[in-house]
Amino acid sequence: MRDRLLIRSAACIAVVLLFSFGLCAWAQTPSPAAPVVQAAPAMDAPLNVQAAQPPSTADLAKGDPGGTMTGTINDISVSDSKKGLTLADALNQVGQNKIAINFTWTLITGFLVMFMQAGFALVETGLCRAKNANHTMMMNFMVYSFGLFAYWVCGFAIQMGGAGPIANLGGTIPLSAEHVFTVLGKPWGLFGSHGFFLSQAGTYDVGVMVIFLFQMVFMDTALTIVTGSAAERWKFAAFAVSSIFMGAITYPLFANWAWGGGWLSQLGANFGLGHGYADFAGSGVVHAVGGITALAVSMIIGPRIGKYNRDGSPNAMPGHDIVIVLAGCFILAFGWFGFNPGSTLGASGNGALRIGSVAVNTMLAGCTGSFGAIIYMWIRYGKPDASMTGNGLLAGLVAITAPSGFVNTIGSVIIGLIAGVLVCLSVEFFDRVVRVDDPVGAISVHGVNGIWGVISVGLFADGRSNYGGSWNGVSGSVRGLFYGDPGQLVAQLIGVATLVGFVFAFSYIANLVIDVVVGQRVSAEDELEGLDIPEMGALGYPEFVLKPEAHGVASASYASGD
Amino acid sequence: MKIVGLLLIIAGWIVAVVGPLITPSTSGRMALALIGIALSIFGILGVLNKAHLKHALWKG
Repeated sequence: MRDRLLIRSAACIAVVLLFSFGLCAWAQTPSPAAPVVQAAPAMDAPLNVQAAQPPSTADLAKGDPGGTMTGTINDISVSDSKKGLTLADALNQVGQNKIAINFTWTLITGFLVMFMQAGFALVETGLCRAKNANHTMMMNFMVYSFGLFAYWVCGFAIQMGGAGPIANLGGTIPLSAEHVFTVLGKPWGLFGSHGFFLSQAGTYDVGVMVIFLFQMVFMDTALTIVTGSAAERWKFAAFAVSSIFMGAITYPLFANWAWGGGWLSQLGANFGLGHGYADFAGSGVVHAVGGITALAVSMIIGPRIGKYNRDGSPNAMPGHDIVIVLAGCFILAFGWFGFNPGSTLGASGNGALRIGSVAVNTMLAGCTGSFGAIIYMWIRYGKPDASMTGNGLLAGLVAITAPSGFVNTIGSVIIGLIAGVLVCLSVEFFDRVVRVDDPVGAISVHGVNGIWGVISVGLFADGRSNYGGSWNGVSGSVRGLFYGDPGQLVAQLIGVATLVGFVFAFSYIANLVIDVVVGQRVSAEDELEGLDIPEMGALGYPEFVLKPEAHGVASASYASGD
Repeated sequence: MKIVGLLLIIAGWIVAVVGPLITPSTSGRMALALIGIALSIFGILGVLNKAHLKHALWKG
């Protein structure tokens, strides 16, 4: 009985002890912490700079070979020196750094594109005969000035005057006036009207200046395409008027429709056609506009004397310097790294880190473009033709310009390879079938392959790009037919129809008027002599002896040589 | 002939552009865009260029 009592007592003590320990353990289990409400630091309250342990003046005086002490909290600008550094100062510096990165990126890539003018000048001059070297070089030189002036006066306002804010460049809010007309309840943007002389309607603005420079060098690229196809017979005065008109009106109109918030870019938002006409860096806007205008001008001017026999068969009229042609191609390929990756308009924010992908796509398409051309020429003619290989490189680069921001590397390789073969077929087609004389192959390189580039967006865009979550006001990524969006291909085809329908007709009529007023073609005597003396007053190569050949074709040799 | 060529070129563009306004079907819009492009190219190369070549220098 006593034992049972003891056992019961021990059991009770054990239960009590266990309960007590359990209670203590439960009491010590941390309860879900109540949210601690901390007051947000005031934006204008001074920050404790010393907590960030910035390097002292004594440390900095020793030098910073490792670069670990340069660029610290000490370098943030303060808005009020009495108050010292505040959170607002720090955050403003973050925002300004992002825009500074994007400004620097866009300006430097714009400078690269500007340098492409030198590449075009070398390619076109090298592919022409020596007796026209000064004239061809001068057209390429002056197209920069003529185009720039026209674009500053009104071209930029027409193209970008209603483009709206560009987030990567800090807003560009003043570009807010797009003329729109409405058809069946849908708005159709036609042209912008802010930015004439870069001084009207608030466009004296740092962001506007950056986008002006970048868009201006693109416009100039389009203009210089025409000088190649019309070379060796184009009157310099007519070239000047034609280039100013193109820089002021033709190019800006189409560029507005594609890039300035115009109706082509809105085909997605208005009609559900993918993301609207998508042209990342300008296969259509720059190259096809240039190539199609080149076709219009070449048709009006007609072929060079000696290009065709009476039966319509063509004669080869080789250029005078393949060395500068291929050097020019390399300069162009280098400049293209500004053309395509620069079209992100920044390297920070809104998917701009895709610049690496854009650059690799660009180099791959150029590579396979030259492959396509060299293989075609080698098989067809038994020799790897140098000028066509150069044109193949350029064709690949032209074709990848529109899709470079939307496709993967497999797509870019295919696009470039097709472009390389296409340029050879197209040169033969225009030379032999259509009989449009194009000394440098500009219509094929830029016109035909520009159109191929526009179409290839509608086929190969893989839906993996993301530039701020939307494109042309349609959320999501651009996706082509092979990745499930046939509507995108329709938008691209409407863009192509606008290029061959509107841009050609507009350029043709404008240049026909110039032909009537100024006269587009030089006299037969001047053409046979070479345009350097009659048009420019000086030979490109005064120490060369130019030998007249049949049909007035001249070849060059050194005075001391044969 | 030059005017006929120009009219064909512009007509091709208009056919492609009005496609989205007259049909909601993607196939229909694609067909109209392709017809428009073909019409414009025919106008450029088949009509306008032929008119220019009629009086080409090398034929004289």
